Amino acid sequence: MNKLYLGGVIFAAFMLLFTYLSVSSSHGGFNGDIVNMLAVTGAIALVMISAFVVIKYVRQMQTDKASGDLADENWDGIGEFKNSLPTGWAVMFLLTMTWGMWYLTVGYPVNSYSQIGEYNEDTKVHNEKFEAQYKDITGKKLVDMGESVFIAECKVCHGLKADGIGGRAADLNHRIAAASVKHVLQNGSNNQLLGMEMPMPDRNGLINATTSMPITDAEIEALATYVSKGLTGTVGADVFAATCVMCHGADGKGVDSMGPNLKEFNTTLVTNILSHGKKGSIGTMPKFDRLNAKQKEAVSAYITSLSK
Amino acid sequence: MFHWLEKHPFFFAVGVFLVIAFAGLIEILPNFAQASRPVIGTAPYSTLELTGRHIYIKNSCNACHSQLVRPFKSETDRYGHYSLSGEYAYDRPFLWGSKRTGPDLMRVGNYRTTDWHENHMKEPSAVVPSSIMPAYRWLFTNKSDIETAYAEQLTVAKNFGVPYNKPVSMKDGSSKTVKMGASVAEAKSIALEEAKVIAADMRDQDVKDAVANGQIPEIVALIAYLNSLK
Repeated sequence: MNKLYLGGVIFAAFMLLFTYLSVSSSHGGFNGDIVNMLAVTGAIALVMISAFVVIKYVRQMQTDKASGDLADENWDGIGEFKNSLPTGWAVMFLLTMTWGMWYLTVGYPVNSYSQIGEYNEDTKVHNEKFEAQYKDITGKKLVDMGESVFIAECKVCHGLKADGIGGRAADLNHRIAAASVKHVLQNGSNNQLLGMEMPMPDRNGLINATTSMPITDAEIEALATYVSKGLTGTVGADVFAATCVMCHGADGKGVDSMGPNLKEFNTTLVTNILSHGKKGSIGTMPKFDRLNAKQKEAVSAYITSLSK
Repeated sequence: MFHWLEKHPFFFAVGVFLVIAFAGLIEILPNFAQASRPVIGTAPYSTLELTGRHIYIKNSCNACHSQLVRPFKSETDRYGHYSLSGEYAYDRPFLWGSKRTGPDLMRVGNYRTTDWHENHMKEPSAVVPSSIMPAYRWLFTNKSDIETAYAEQLTVAKNFGVPYNKPVSMKDGSSKTVKMGASVAEAKSIALEEAKVIAADMRDQDVKDAVANGQIPEIVALIAYLNSLK
């Protein structure tokens, strides 16, 4: 046997031994993990191929004699043999050129990769999955979804406990605060709380049917107390009955396309606030239109559950 | 021809350049020409907004906050529509940032309000309990540098044709004209008018008093800038 082959075999055996030892002594070793076995198989293949390719070319260098026709050019006396093209290489070259032409004229212009295209596909898949998975959820699951959306989007202003962080935003554990009632009675309101109802007039447009006069400061105080306590108690009940029931209903639970529910939160109210934003006594709430319809419904369910 | 090219390296290099440049031309240029125009709805910064932008840069807000929403569902859910290159047409320099220690601010004007920013800059952990952002209380006392912002407005209007005092189309089909003063004094009065609108939504009495007296604390300019990010 040629000593070159002997060297190759010894080298390959040494490398394999080294691979075997390093894998088996590593954390876990050969514990039946397919990845380790693949690594060792790959190592064997690499070592064998390297050793025998090297041997082939070393032998060729030892035995080859220069022969054949030289090309016309020579560079400082160094010539180049005219070798015919290897068939495999020539075929690959032609295929590459053909592919290049196709890519330039059809492949890129018609079918190019686009980040936005991938984004659109991802979004479509996600939305379909969301739709399929959550289309029919109700009750506790809906409230849980609402809570998670609330924690992601709403807590920075309304706080983790939805208490408005000391007056920085509305306290959602109660339907409405006395200060907000007073503000709305004095200034009116146009927040599209039902989507497209008529704006509520300011105090000059709020007529007490009993006295046939615009409401007075004392009546505003009484109404603020009555409404903020969830339409309970006796103070202000008469003013409410005389002034507010036409739009907000006798029970204060709202009238379609007229006035929103003043007694409790509901889906229409919260969904519209999320869609249109709101400006009130505390400040401005931006709209959160990037939530989808189900998420808005879920937030409504969560907020409604807070004040019950 | 190949024998000739092998003997003339200069022309060989020119040939290689042409081949590569051609690929660049057809792949890059058409998209670039389209994407580098201002997107409809992108208006130049007003005097006060530009002042706020300088304060944003001065306090290195861009070290922790990016202004680039990538086209991933997880990002657009959180920050809004992915960024378009034309939206940065009036940003010199753009403030993409390279790291998000805090959230992205590309569209913060859509979902935060003046009074929220006020509370947050004064004491971030009061509104976001787990926030590691430091408080920026000096913004409430430092006064804004309107002159520098006006100088930038003049420069970009003259050298880059930024459309100040010209109508710019908005997304809803209307048009908006961003005013630039003809003199430093006029620029200051324009900035003060903008500041009054912001201060009306703020609660800090010292800031309100300062604006009423014709001064503009840095916080007002910064909020004007943050509100303009949409």
